[in-house]
Amino acid sequence: MRTAPALAEMCLKCNICTSACPVMAVSDEFLGPKAVGPQAERFRHPRAHVPNASVSWCSGCGVCSRVCPHGVPVTELNIQAKGKLAEQNGAPLRDQLLARPALLARFAGPVAPLANAALQARPARYLAEAVFGISRSAPMPRFARKTFRDLEASRQTEAPRPSARPAVAYFHGCSVNHYEPGLGQLAVRVLDRLGFDVWLPPQGCCGLPLQSNGLFEAARGYARTNLRGLAPFAAAGTPILGTSTSCTLALKHEYGAILGMEEEACEIVAGAVFDFFEFLRDSVPQPLDPGSLQPVPMRVVYHPPCQLKSHAIGLPAYDILRRVPGLEITLSDSECCGVAGTYGLKRERYAVARAVGETLFDQVRETAPDAVVTDSETCRWWIQGLSGVTAFHPMQILALALGLEENSPRMRRPDVPR
Amino acid sequence: MTDLVIVGAGLAGLLAANLAARRGASVTIVAQGRGSLSLSHGCIGLGSLPASDLAPEHPYHRAGKHRLKPAVDFFLEAAHAQGVKYLGTTDSVVRLPTAAGSVLSLHFVPATLAPGDLSHPGRTLVAGIQGFRDFDPSLVAAGLRARGVDAGSAELPHPGPPPTRDWYSTDIAARFERSWSAKEVGRLWRPSLDSAGRLGLPAVLGLTAQDRILSALEEALGITLFEIPTLPPSLPGLRLERALRRAALAAGCRLLEGSAAIGRIDGRSGGARTLGVSAVTPAGPRTVEAGATLLATGGVLNGGWRAERSGRLHESVFDLPIAGPENRQAWIGPSLFDPHPYDRYGLSVNVNMQPCDRDGRPFFPNVFACGGILGGADRRREQNRQGIDIVTAYAAVEAALS
Repeated sequence: MRTAPALAEMCLKCNICTSACPVMAVSDEFLGPKAVGPQAERFRHPRAHVPNASVSWCSGCGVCSRVCPHGVPVTELNIQAKGKLAEQNGAPLRDQLLARPALLARFAGPVAPLANAALQARPARYLAEAVFGISRSAPMPRFARKTFRDLEASRQTEAPRPSARPAVAYFHGCSVNHYEPGLGQLAVRVLDRLGFDVWLPPQGCCGLPLQSNGLFEAARGYARTNLRGLAPFAAAGTPILGTSTSCTLALKHEYGAILGMEEEACEIVAGAVFDFFEFLRDSVPQPLDPGSLQPVPMRVVYHPPCQLKSHAIGLPAYDILRRVPGLEITLSDSECCGVAGTYGLKRERYAVARAVGETLFDQVRETAPDAVVTDSETCRWWIQGLSGVTAFHPMQILALALGLEENSPRMRRPDVPR
Repeated sequence: MTDLVIVGAGLAGLLAANLAARRGASVTIVAQGRGSLSLSHGCIGLGSLPASDLAPEHPYHRAGKHRLKPAVDFFLEAAHAQGVKYLGTTDSVVRLPTAAGSVLSLHFVPATLAPGDLSHPGRTLVAGIQGFRDFDPSLVAAGLRARGVDAGSAELPHPGPPPTRDWYSTDIAARFERSWSAKEVGRLWRPSLDSAGRLGLPAVLGLTAQDRILSALEEALGITLFEIPTLPPSLPGLRLERALRRAALAAGCRLLEGSAAIGRIDGRSGGARTLGVSAVTPAGPRTVEAGATLLATGGVLNGGWRAERSGRLHESVFDLPIAGPENRQAWIGPSLFDPHPYDRYGLSVNVNMQPCDRDGRPFFPNVFACGGILGGADRRREQNRQGIDIVTAYAAVEAALS
């Protein structure tokens, strides 16, 4: 396989990435994916300083790699350059914290009511902004008092257990484990209804937040833990499903392409990982046919997260939700909602991230839907907080259509300090 | 399992996807990035030569020229439905200035470009925008003067602070959409207009709101305005690419963007049929099983076919042979601006748009081809690149779904 820097030579400077970059469209600080990527690459040397810090404005949304007609891994080049910057200049404590959601939650979870009250309180958010540089305006999720793994402890296993029904392994990620255990439990119920046994392999944070913040060595540590935990399942042919599109992209692609993991397990695990809806669409023998689904009379805007689009599997949740009777779906026109994981939470990036999202927020205002539907948790919290419209995971809509939820699902709104 | 997998997302691929979805087929598009449609001028040229002057193997003859009218109508309808308006007819041309100072003859052009037709009377002012280096108004004006048009040039100021980095056309388009008001711009520009009867600007008047911005500016300035496509990013091409992609997605087509495709041949059929393609995704190869495969991969510059040093020419998805001399010197003309034999290389198809061997036998019953991958035409000289894309997409979808 050719490395990212070698593939930079394939760049013809056609500017297709430049015109697709959502950050560049709203900010002059960012010189653009082509300029800081393949173009700057020729001035980079493994032992030299990164010549221009503009690359730090890259949010890592991945659109540039996806639209490049010549196969230049533009995002990968830029994330590596960001890693180099962090190594060179040191990552601020704020980035170190944001990059470890599991660690944060370990302290905050047991005192969830207190921690959540603090996240809601304006003075605390001013303090967090002043001391750490975490934007006081960015919507934040609530910590759950009990983790998903604790709630579903009986499903934890280090290797696939014999079972009569086909089995799947669930990579729940930090967001389900620490913030939205209910969503994970719903995923388990949906899979159970569709005839699958669900196991929880040993796992931790996927490491993507660390990687996005340039903390590669720490991210590799997380990656190793996950590869160790998931490899027995992958080797046994058990599909590994995720409801978080960014975690699954890390497992499928970024461990190898960005972190450079050389473990044999890396490739085996990558091949066994599926987005939740990708699996339902492509691998469930009995397709969810419209006749077996209950009507869900709602009008929604579906926003496919950037990280999902980077899977190159199309829009599987959209494909499945289109079968739900009564559900009226408008497809988002926006390349990115802006938050890009932890990017929008940072004081100095918040305004740019918000501006990136304006195209989507405008569309939501014009469409006035009952809800926004999007797969990624950070997109969901961000969109809900900034557009004021409830945002669901597509699985919550599917659960309604399967009759697993009686009433309209109600997620708690993330707390936006006013 | 999908009815039709289309490889490529340029004009031919995206239009084919929309056509197939309209006919009720399930469609998957596999595209290695966005097509060069977004680098183009966004106009539709149907060609300058009468059909009788084209060789029998020309894609127009293969697709059937009687399909041109319904195919173009479908294209116009699809673009209009997404808010991109075109003007023109199949039997007359509009002559538009290019950013390089030349002139193109085109049949259908975006409404914001149309008033640039050379036949308009009166003095033309071609203006650049200060800080935008991808457009040289004096070069365009000189080209117009050389063709007898009374034209001058100017650099116009812009509202707000000067740029802190190079501005691309998309940066200015975003400003017209978000922050610069027509009133403010009008006040800045009016003193420079002199006696001009119309004003030609680089195509930067927004990505989606170009019609509204153009009329607001016309009102503020009291003059006819038109856009001239720029170096990439080229807004008219971007608007069209975006429109056709959105329409395809809204019609339920599946788009695997950023993945190359490798053809899959059905071993059990003894190699007689194909199963679809393997999409090379970030997670490794994933199978896209399809009843039929449509190659809309473009010419050699778009990766539709490849030339090896050994002299072998081959199509890039199913590795089909492309006819051409082994002597590499014979591929190219004597100098850059001469016609090049390789311009005519590509797949040869039958009237069902199935790629065929040199004896005219289809390689596979369920593989079809359209657009730039087809040989037998010199699109640059014939000025019919888009016409070929549109009509061959139409014919190929008809054949693939019949």
